[in-house]
Amino acid sequence: MVRNIELGLGRPLKRRQLLKGAAAIAAVGMFPAIISRRGNAADMPTLVNSIRSLSNPYHATWNAGGAAFAKSVGAEYVTLVTEGNSEKGIADIKAILAKTGGNCAINIDPNDAPDARPIVEACKEAGAYVVTQWNKPVDLHPWDYNPNYVAHISFSGVPYGKAMAEALFKSMGGKGGIVALGGIESNVPAIERKAGLEQALKENPGIQLLDFQVANWSDTEALEKTNAWLTQFGDKIGGIWAANDGMGLAAIEALRADGRAGKVPVTGIDGIKLAVEAIQKGEMAGTVAWDPFWQGGMGLAIAFDAKTGVFDPAKESKDHREFYGTGVVITGENAQAYYDTNIKSEPTLDWKDIWGRASGQIQYN
Amino acid sequence: MRIASWAPVIVLLLLCAIISVINPNFLSFGNMVRISQSAMIPLVLGIGATFIIIMGSIDLSVEGVLTLAAVVLSMLVLNGENANDYGLFAVAAVLIVGAGVGFINGLINVRLKVPSFMTTLGTWFIGVGIANALLGGMATRINDPWIRGLAIERFWGFPWGVWVALLCLLIALIIQNYTRLGRHVYALGGGEELAALSGISVARVRIAAFTIAGVFYAVGGILAAAQLGLGNAQIGNGRLFTTITAVVVGGTSLSGGQGSVLQTVVGVLIVVVLSNGMVLMGVPPSVQIGVQGLMIIAAVALSINRKLMKIIK
Repeated sequence: MVRNIELGLGRPLKRRQLLKGAAAIAAVGMFPAIISRRGNAADMPTLVNSIRSLSNPYHATWNAGGAAFAKSVGAEYVTLVTEGNSEKGIADIKAILAKTGGNCAINIDPNDAPDARPIVEACKEAGAYVVTQWNKPVDLHPWDYNPNYVAHISFSGVPYGKAMAEALFKSMGGKGGIVALGGIESNVPAIERKAGLEQALKENPGIQLLDFQVANWSDTEALEKTNAWLTQFGDKIGGIWAANDGMGLAAIEALRADGRAGKVPVTGIDGIKLAVEAIQKGEMAGTVAWDPFWQGGMGLAIAFDAKTGVFDPAKESKDHREFYGTGVVITGENAQAYYDTNIKSEPTLDWKDIWGRASGQIQYN
Repeated sequence: MRIASWAPVIVLLLLCAIISVINPNFLSFGNMVRISQSAMIPLVLGIGATFIIIMGSIDLSVEGVLTLAAVVLSMLVLNGENANDYGLFAVAAVLIVGAGVGFINGLINVRLKVPSFMTTLGTWFIGVGIANALLGGMATRINDPWIRGLAIERFWGFPWGVWVALLCLLIALIIQNYTRLGRHVYALGGGEELAALSGISVARVRIAAFTIAGVFYAVGGILAAAQLGLGNAQIGNGRLFTTITAVVVGGTSLSGGQGSVLQTVVGVLIVVVLSNGMVLMGVPPSVQIGVQGLMIIAAVALSINRKLMKIIK
């Protein structure tokens, strides 16, 4: 659960934020729980995206990806919103299975890992095809529910934490001291990204880690930790590695108040708009975009192709059934291009290339 | 009683002494500026909350008002998302929003007789909820040079935001010491029935206090938006904890009637110096939360001490 929302918002979902989310809905009036779009083919499977909410940029983009794929095949498209409520998430899936008689392809970001099991079982029983992302129990595998449980997709923080560290070192000329801002210590993506940073440090003896602080995915905490570092290390700070964009951008503001923004490179992770803009301005050295547009569209495409017989899930290898997706590393070189194709306009993806971003079978420790 | 009420100041001086022995950089002018930057927002928030806590109530809407203020500001001044550029009018609008939420807090508390804890818990969520709905989860970059200048431009070596916070402190001191409202707030905290019997309009004082607190939180929102250069629905996260801790650590009693805005200044400095100092002293991140927890317990212990002293006297 934590893992999922962290990547979207740059910080973990807490109980309080759930309540705030609920308050948000109460404040706006009643959001329709099911937003549906009519397709033109009657026997075409209904396409279903089940996500947490539509009020954060991550899931809003996810939904746009789903709608774009549905449009490309002319199928009816339904968005289910859990609002952080597991029971609602499962009940909505069962309702849509009953409504369509199982003739649907579902792409779901389960609210919490345990939710995946009852959802997969319900889909198997109804004959629907399902793809899960981010959250599922470790011992629940797609190949145990052939052919209905088509695939599970996740992302590993290690290679991207490392890629950002390398981008940072490169912009520092390969030597000097860095400081690093981490996410919540017990948080899986925070642990993975930090592990990536440590790998990169081991391979680059010219770079010294002056200090690692936990800023809990919080902009404010990141700003204050950076302020203290400016006192402690002063000019020894050659670069700042942050485990997400929000903390990285806050570090830049601390540098700016010190007259040093743009002089000390900073990296983040998540690929939010402000970070891409900061890269274009030369204040940030890099970020990683998870591309929720791809997650929302391609997850559906994989389930849809399995449902319509384009491929047989049972015959696919395990690294197509439980795989890590591929993040997009953004640095100064491709920031403008990324901005133009992904932020300024709606991205265009080849929905036929369903395995194009599969980068290895998921490993469990 | 006199000595006990100086306890927070002694704690602060001791803290500064320990940190500067371990890392002399702590006392550098640059670090003083950075501490003042970190303190300006908690100070403004703490000032607002002090009035409410002296009154014997509690205000949990700090994060709600701050977030709403920051988001509304980011959408009205020159920004990266829309064509608005209302400058100072936007600041005025934000202060009115803060006053409005505070006024509603007071009104619900007094007229519907909902305890302040629940009332302000509700407005906290509503504030964050509206902010979330306004931005749809996105962050808005602030480009207004005046707003950004609060954090970046300096006067006598300190950012303008620090001077704004000091101006707020001055205004709060005047309200506390030289107005009828200030005295009535203490009277309510000391004993509401007695205050009512002596002719004070309890309802009016409560509503006024909550409204003023709301304005201070809105100023905090403006400063937070200026500091981070953006408005988003998560900008207030964690502020309530710091605010209440600072007020209580400063020696203002949660049971009401005792405390002052100046004590909150000391409390804010203790909290800010501690978090700055823990990084300077190289305290491992996993231990830092624990140290903050210890500080809260110490603060409560201090306030119990003071009461004992009073009884002895």
